[in-house]
Amino acid sequence: MTNPFTSNKKVFITYALMWFFLFLAQINVLVFAMNIKLYPALIDSFVFNALYMILGIGIWYTVRFNSLENYSAVKIFLNHIVAAVITAGIWLAISEFILNQVLVADQKYLGLLYNSTVWRFLFGILIYIVLVAVDYVIIYYNNFQEKVLKESELKSLVKEAELNALKYQINPHFIFNSLNSISSLTLSNPARAQEMTIKLSSFMRSTLAKNENQKSKLIDEINAGKLYLDIEKIRFEDKFEFIEDLKLECKEMEIPSMILQPLFENAIKHGVYESLEKVIIKLSCGMEKEYFKISVENNFDPEAVPRKGNGIGLKNIQNRMKLIYNQDNLIQVEKRQNNFCVNIYIPVS
Amino acid sequence: MDKIRTIIIDDEQLARDIIKAYLKKLDKFELIGEATNGFDGIKLINDTKPNLVFLDIQMPKLTGFEMLELIEEPPVIIFTTAFDQYALKAFEVNATDYLLKPFAEERFLEAINKAEKILTSESEIKNKFKSLTKLAELKNEFLERVVYKSGQKINVIPVDDINYIEAQDDYTMLYTRKGNFLKQKTMKYFEENLDPNVFLRIHRSFIVSLTNIKQIELLEKESYQVILQDGKKLPVSKSGYQKVKELIK
Repeated sequence: MTNPFTSNKKVFITYALMWFFLFLAQINVLVFAMNIKLYPALIDSFVFNALYMILGIGIWYTVRFNSLENYSAVKIFLNHIVAAVITAGIWLAISEFILNQVLVADQKYLGLLYNSTVWRFLFGILIYIVLVAVDYVIIYYNNFQEKVLKESELKSLVKEAELNALKYQINPHFIFNSLNSISSLTLSNPARAQEMTIKLSSFMRSTLAKNENQKSKLIDEINAGKLYLDIEKIRFEDKFEFIEDLKLECKEMEIPSMILQPLFENAIKHGVYESLEKVIIKLSCGMEKEYFKISVENNFDPEAVPRKGNGIGLKNIQNRMKLIYNQDNLIQVEKRQNNFCVNIYIPVS
Repeated sequence: MDKIRTIIIDDEQLARDIIKAYLKKLDKFELIGEATNGFDGIKLINDTKPNLVFLDIQMPKLTGFEMLELIEEPPVIIFTTAFDQYALKAFEVNATDYLLKPFAEERFLEAINKAEKILTSESEIKNKFKSLTKLAELKNEFLERVVYKSGQKINVIPVDDINYIEAQDDYTMLYTRKGNFLKQKTMKYFEENLDPNVFLRIHRSFIVSLTNIKQIELLEKESYQVILQDGKKLPVSKSGYQKVKELIK
């Protein structure tokens, strides 16, 4: 850390102002309390204060050198006592030498100068203590600021890392199975094969383009989800149906990107893949108090023995929501008999 | 020579279609049925006794692997799947064949030729099947559910419902919350395929679910037994006791 008295303009001006006031105060004391004439009082006050002002800037280095991290408190205390005596001593010696030369004719003044030596020495020590205290406060304050800055940098780094870890990834089996469907359609229905190829490409492009840390409009997220469902629809034909019920005010609302997709995938995976009956996947959105509530709902076969590893997608969404909104309980899962429903609450900002 | 009677079991219409389209061009093969899930698949195999089955792995009700466990005299199987983690293992153990979706017609014919060879040299079938079931056991993941047949009914039990397993000669008896049943699997199979953090081989003849242990009791010097939630007592071997102690710690 560089010396704030020389590198920071504001600090230097404050410092100089303080000395200017001391300079004025000392003139007052000399003239009105000690009955010294204005001219010698002015010279006296100027020499003492200007000199200490210069010496005082140097005290910074004794403070930097005696940081609490490197030395014990006792050692620092002793160092400062020695430094205080030396500083005050030099200050007095030089000042008195100069004043002796300049005001050699004024015997009354010189008498006062010698008589006040002890008091001036004690005053010099006091100033030293004040300056040291100020310097320590400055160092402490700077360290604190640095720490706060570093901490917030670290926090945002951690957040980014965590969000990256929760990144959505396209299920490779979905892609391979879709490609298999396309392969089959090229034989039986080339037009459909083309349609599916284009849908699969659009879906992949939309997921690849998205930045996980960004938000996008609900309507865009739903459109991407629909592409996905359309593709699954080609694979599974009549095995499921998608219904949406969106309030108008929802469509333009912003949500974290790729937060709906895993829910659609869950509905397909645990609903459609495992069930022999038709599955209805329902998406709805509306306002609820100060939240937008988005729900994805599907029926499932309650007799299907659940596989483990469920809920990783859900857990990821939960963690992402928590990181983004800094709030718990934004995801709510309801499981009833043969109905599975996930509610997402987006705080209205 | 008779035609090779073939069935396709896959939950996706389009996946079945492409196999059908390829098969149609071959005179030697006759498609005699299709199924869209594990339950129907077993029934179809038992009813029609096919020579060759194209079998998907991920399906509703039962997976392809689970189906195989429940069929007494399985036909030659060609797996068709998008899951390459199983397929890679398949090549390690030299399985009949594994078709990774999507597959080319040439690759399909290759698989068909292998199957034909096996079917014409009768004795090899059983060996091939062995390697295939072994494959199912090679999966990295631990068992999640166990299937068994009682009469005509097929039951799927989540492993969480197993209380303990007892050795019965070459078979094992599973004591579950939904009753007891005999499984044609060895203790070693269960020891290797159940999550060792949950299931513990406490004795040569017993594997116990940790959640089902109520307490461990000193019987006599250096001899212990566990008491289960329902009060039943099972012996614990010396090495079994070490394992329990470590896990419960």
